[in-house]
Amino acid sequence: MMPSFVQSLWTALWQDAPLVQAPFFLIGIASLMLWPGDLLIPRDQKRRWSLFTQIILGITLYLVVVTPHRSGFSNMFRIDTMTQAFQLICTVATLATVVLSKKLLDLMNEHTVEFYTLLLFTLSGMLLLCGATDLVTLYFSIELMALPIYVLVGYFRDQERGIEAGVKYFLLGAFSSGIMIYGISLLYGATGGTTTNFEGLSTALVAAMDARGTMVTLGVLMVLVGMAFKVAVVPFHMWTPDVYDGAPTPITAFMASAPKAAAIFAFAKVFGVAFHNIPNVWTFGMEYMAAASMILGNVAALRQQSMKRMLAYSSIAHVGYMMLAILSNDPNLSIRSFSGVQSLWLYIFAYLFMNFGAFAIITFLQGKGEGERIDDFRGLSQRNPWLAFAMMLFLLSLAGIPPLIGFFSKFILFKMALERGFVVLTVIAVLTSAVSAYYYLGVINQMYFRSSTGKDSLKMDRMTGVLVSVCALMVLLGVSASGWLIDIVDKIKL
Amino acid sequence: MNALFTSIGHNLFLVFGLLACAGAAVMILSTSAVHSVLGFLFSMIMVAACFLCLSAEFLGMAQLLVYAGGIVVLFLFVVMLVELTKYKEKSLFTTQIKWSFPLVLIALGIFAYTMKSNLFDAATPVALSLSSGLAEGLSVSAQNAQMVSRGLFAGFLLPLEILSVILLVALVGALVLAKSERVS
Repeated sequence: MMPSFVQSLWTALWQDAPLVQAPFFLIGIASLMLWPGDLLIPRDQKRRWSLFTQIILGITLYLVVVTPHRSGFSNMFRIDTMTQAFQLICTVATLATVVLSKKLLDLMNEHTVEFYTLLLFTLSGMLLLCGATDLVTLYFSIELMALPIYVLVGYFRDQERGIEAGVKYFLLGAFSSGIMIYGISLLYGATGGTTTNFEGLSTALVAAMDARGTMVTLGVLMVLVGMAFKVAVVPFHMWTPDVYDGAPTPITAFMASAPKAAAIFAFAKVFGVAFHNIPNVWTFGMEYMAAASMILGNVAALRQQSMKRMLAYSSIAHVGYMMLAILSNDPNLSIRSFSGVQSLWLYIFAYLFMNFGAFAIITFLQGKGEGERIDDFRGLSQRNPWLAFAMMLFLLSLAGIPPLIGFFSKFILFKMALERGFVVLTVIAVLTSAVSAYYYLGVINQMYFRSSTGKDSLKMDRMTGVLVSVCALMVLLGVSASGWLIDIVDKIKL
Repeated sequence: MNALFTSIGHNLFLVFGLLACAGAAVMILSTSAVHSVLGFLFSMIMVAACFLCLSAEFLGMAQLLVYAGGIVVLFLFVVMLVELTKYKEKSLFTTQIKWSFPLVLIALGIFAYTMKSNLFDAATPVALSLSSGLAEGLSVSAQNAQMVSRGLFAGFLLPLEILSVILLVALVGALVLAKSERVS
């Protein structure tokens, strides 16, 4: 007897459920934290949620690792080693954000359960986004990822800058989502309404290109614009400095790492798989965006007085470098060749530690009422030598100076881009990273060669100390582990 | 006269589509908030009519209920609650019109060209019917609501679940931003 519709639905659901165990574990726990969890914790004890969230994220790390490898949900979702590697980066970044936030929320007296649940919700969106293999899943995962971040950016409601940043981010995010879904619907229409699956599109779009070329072109370009907004590359970067500056500092650190990692991986998958066979449509636009991001990001960072704005512009430049990796997915190799994404993973892995280390120090200084301006770093080496040394490591690594991990990841990325024949872009990348050394060294100059004017020494609290030390060790010793890292990256395959 | 009516009858989709565009134009161009919302309402109803012309009854009804019924009424409430007479400066609404006008025209041209050259076949007997390559996949089943539910709960189950979480997050987010006091 044929199984009924409901029966077959149930069987399929039961089979596919383990694929999404990590994100749906997060969603379930977050919902339970809102109700009834929040009723159980007395009003003055809300800070306990921080530790609880850290434990939950630890369990999530485990769940991500043990997720089985296959695709499911009518080919809309797929877990493989590459997906897991990016999911791990997102989870670790969220964990670091929770650790970083505790001090600030204590200080501002703003501990609520919602802060932590929103972080868990946005993480679940990222985990889903990493595994998405269909434009529809991709779109909804991006929305689930972005929506809690809009709220978190404006979390401190009495700070006007934060609210302005939240509203700006929300409006531009909604706008770019609109552009992207229009592009997706055009592509769906161009293939005759048959598929939105990445693998399906890679063949269907070639056929559609002959019959309905302008429609495919317009759709691909609109998806490109939508994704470019999400990862903030020039010329769709306008929101970045304001939002990074206005958001609470731990959230800024979060935005520069976790959502960016997930969105860039999705970017690489859409253009590496779905639009893989029609490279002529988008290669030029992406090359232009990569070059413009590298140049404008680094040049604009030169003039910044605010530390967070400087790091915002530098993150635009770093995304420009990452675009090189997306471009380096060789279209002539087989569809499974993902070497570009491997170097992308390595780059984001290194960026995670440098970024979180630097932002942890800024958050710590902000707790003392400083750290907003680059001038505030004046004479830091006298006030706390270890902190200044760690900050120097992070900044040198961001600039890509050997023997730190930032150099290693940048070297591999540039080498691969060169092998793929992007000579002009690689030359631009090398030149602009030389420019970037100037503003990073400017901060180091402030810390070591200017004297602080009558400020007393700083004592680090335990959690910041641990976070900064771990990041500094990774940045410092990363290269000695390079052989080991390359081995890991080799294992990361679809 | 009869021929005119017949041709209008065949091109109802086009008529409603143009009316929807007109509503959108009113929404953007009028400087009074109430007129803007009414233009939006008109545009949404016309889009619902477009869906009905394509025999997508479920989508048409959902469009009417959700947009025309729910969202526009909400907009009207907001417009009435917020005292907009304070923001009478016209310059607030017209600052970028010089640049945006040609840009909108260019975009309109591109989209019109794309639609015309890709969606419709000149060869089909009835004007403005979909070209044969597209008609197959986009053909609408006779039992529309049933097909929609099959799509939602079988083919697109995961996006549907994600969507439900998005709604929950929107609720929590609104609560976080609007709650009057936080824990001390």
